[in-house]
Amino acid sequence: MLKGHLTLRQGSFLLESGPFEIETAGVTVLFGRSGSGKSTLLRAITGLDKHTRGTLSFNGERWQDGAWRLPTQKRDIGFVFQDAALFPHLSVRGNLEYALKRAPKTGGPGLESVAARVGIAHKLDQDVVTLSGGERQRVAIARALLSHPRLLCMDEPLSALDWRAKGELLTLIDELAHETGIPVLYITHAPIEVERLASRVVFMANGRIERIETLREALARPDSPLFDEEGPVSVLEGAMGQTDADGLTPFGTDQVRILLTGACGEKRSATRLRILARDVSLAMDEPRGVSILNHLPVTIERIDPAHEGRVTVACRLADGQLLLAEITAFSRRQLSLEPGASAYAMIKSVALME
Amino acid sequence: MLGLTPGEWQAIWLTAKLAGLTTLILLVLSAPLAWWLAHTQSRLGDITAALVALPLVLPPTVIGFYLLIVLGPQGFVGGRLEDMGLHHLAFSFEGILIGSVVYSLPFAVQPLREAFSAIPPRLLDAAATLRASGPDRFFSVVLPLARGGMLTAIVITFAHTVGEFGVIAMLGGNIAGETRVVSIAIYDHSQAMEYAEAHRLSAILLGFSFVTLFLFYAINRRAMSPLKP
Amino acid sequence: MRMLKTLAFAAAVGFSGVSAADEAKIAAASDLKFAFDELKPLFEKQHPEHKLELIMGSSGKFTQQIENGAPFDVFFSADVSMPRKLVESGKAIAPVTTYAFGRVVLWSAKVDATKLTLDDLPKAELRKVAIAAPDHAPYGARAKEALQHAKVWDQVEGKMVYGENISHTAQLIDTQAADIGIIALSLAVNDKLKSKGGYYLIPEDFHQPLEQAYAVTKHGENNKAAHAFAEFMRSEDARRVMRHYGFLLPGEKVE
Repeated sequence: MLKGHLTLRQGSFLLESGPFEIETAGVTVLFGRSGSGKSTLLRAITGLDKHTRGTLSFNGERWQDGAWRLPTQKRDIGFVFQDAALFPHLSVRGNLEYALKRAPKTGGPGLESVAARVGIAHKLDQDVVTLSGGERQRVAIARALLSHPRLLCMDEPLSALDWRAKGELLTLIDELAHETGIPVLYITHAPIEVERLASRVVFMANGRIERIETLREALARPDSPLFDEEGPVSVLEGAMGQTDADGLTPFGTDQVRILLTGACGEKRSATRLRILARDVSLAMDEPRGVSILNHLPVTIERIDPAHEGRVTVACRLADGQLLLAEITAFSRRQLSLEPGASAYAMIKSVALME
Repeated sequence: MLGLTPGEWQAIWLTAKLAGLTTLILLVLSAPLAWWLAHTQSRLGDITAALVALPLVLPPTVIGFYLLIVLGPQGFVGGRLEDMGLHHLAFSFEGILIGSVVYSLPFAVQPLREAFSAIPPRLLDAAATLRASGPDRFFSVVLPLARGGMLTAIVITFAHTVGEFGVIAMLGGNIAGETRVVSIAIYDHSQAMEYAEAHRLSAILLGFSFVTLFLFYAINRRAMSPLKP
Repeated sequence: MRMLKTLAFAAAVGFSGVSAADEAKIAAASDLKFAFDELKPLFEKQHPEHKLELIMGSSGKFTQQIENGAPFDVFFSADVSMPRKLVESGKAIAPVTTYAFGRVVLWSAKVDATKLTLDDLPKAELRKVAIAAPDHAPYGARAKEALQHAKVWDQVEGKMVYGENISHTAQLIDTQAADIGIIALSLAVNDKLKSKGGYYLIPEDFHQPLEQAYAVTKHGENNKAAHAFAEFMRSEDARRVMRHYGFLLPGEKVE
């Protein structure tokens, strides 16, 4: 639990967090536009800026009190920077040893095993300047883990990477967060990273913390800042099933089954499915004779007011998860949709998050 | 050896001692000063930077003149020393050592400052998150990354002190074994029309300076690794 | 803070200003260069317990350095007023002893100076004329007086070059940076310079007498070698060497 109220002025920018309590378990994402104060808040939380003022405690331990500040090196945190910030005068192994030498001797996983886990075992004796962007971040993550942090901070670690490396690292970060149990504070301005990783979202704007809520809460409200770019999105949780003879792989829970096609079947570890509301349409009767594979019975829960002639309909699935559909206000009137009504959701396209 | 007289060996040894001690003192003094200059945003930084750079543009005679006034028996520092029953610092090795430190200060501070400025602050943040304390960060990150600048500072400070003349001429008084460094001995020999001696010492200085600079450029080219984060 | 550092540093490295009692630092006007090069081994042979260190330069510079605490033990000036001034300010101790009268000569390494007088100096083929700096070198001041006496100063002032001291002036002429110049007789009679060219002796009534005096400094007050050397300068052995270098000695007549 991070609890406090921090202020920090950087040039003309003022961070004025307001009082906050952030549950630190799983991945907590700091989300906001660039310039909203995410990085500044993270610097204040980690003690990297000596001009920080206010109060902060971590699990009851005092980190900041007025102008007094527990030095960063005594906070037991790990930090993965946007640019990795690897030491250029040390090899990959040297960078990892730097962390290990200064970490408490608690006998956690060794250098070799952590390097192997993040996929850089074969790069250990290389010069860090020869690494690709993705490899650099893997080293940075390994380095942070080897210092045995109680809180792992990541400041837009993927923003400089290509889409393929981004995908691979998202998976790695997600898996490591689960395997190690270390709470993660993760900064991003990309909704897709939030949807992929977050258990909790801290929304920031204009140097303030606007709202702290679970991912589920964040996705359930129609005005969520996560929807600014692509419109409303649903994230369904579930597990992958066995691929059948037709090449279709089921994903979902006991009550809800969504069929995936193509190479999706290879992504065995995926647990989240991302569905844009505009890719979901509604029918009052069970559709027959249509090419769309996935149609699921739903209960209309809420209909948000029309915006530019379109409405977002929140539908409850059989397993209790929420699926958003975006339809025209005209269709809504035609179908006489009202909360409480039963309908069928037709899903045109899904994206497996991994 | 080399056909040098004991007096000339003495001048060479004295010069090496002066340059060596000057370099050592300046490294210790300049490192924190250069670090502060590289990171401060205050007006005081500009003033200090200007003060540090003064010896670059001032005639050495000006520095020598003021130091003579300050360190001499009636001077602020020299006078206090005399009052304490100690000896004032003009015309002594300690005096020209102080003179050399002042005179060569920008040659030590400038390369260190540039080297420190080139170190991305992120790396120090990263070291702090890896539990490195302030001094630990300085020795484990700053110094290794500033090694090119350190080498430059050491070589240039040493060579510049070896080549110093004006300050020592004003402050030193040409005393064998105490203040008669090679450059002063050359001046002395040439004034006394002892051309052979002047030639010998001059050739040694010329050779030393060239070899130093040559080694410096050769080593620097190899030692400088890219500092890209 | 800086002051404290300096003190701490000074205390740490210790002081070496006070020399051993049997070694004396002799600051001597540079017209004495060749004479003292001979006198030093002679003295050290007679006084094996003492050692000398010679520092040659201009009398004016030495005076200023001694005023500022330079650790010289005996000061042999090229005039008499500067040691007197040091005695007055307490930097040297009485008596101020006259040890010689100097003479100036016209000398050149380029043209035959024996056939010239001061009246030849304005000639166009003599493009640069060297004398010691008149403001702090006594030989320079006397040279200027001689040129003024000969009424050529105004004509030659524009082509003057000034040596830092009289030895430096000789160097300027020796290297032919200057075509001709006025130096000390004591330098011109040395083999090294004589082999380069002859000299013309400037009449002594052209300028004030070059009365040269020495004094033991406050620094050398308790230095046995300093006093021994001062005493030695009055010995016949020393006077013979000085005479050889063209100095007129106190109590002797011009020949």
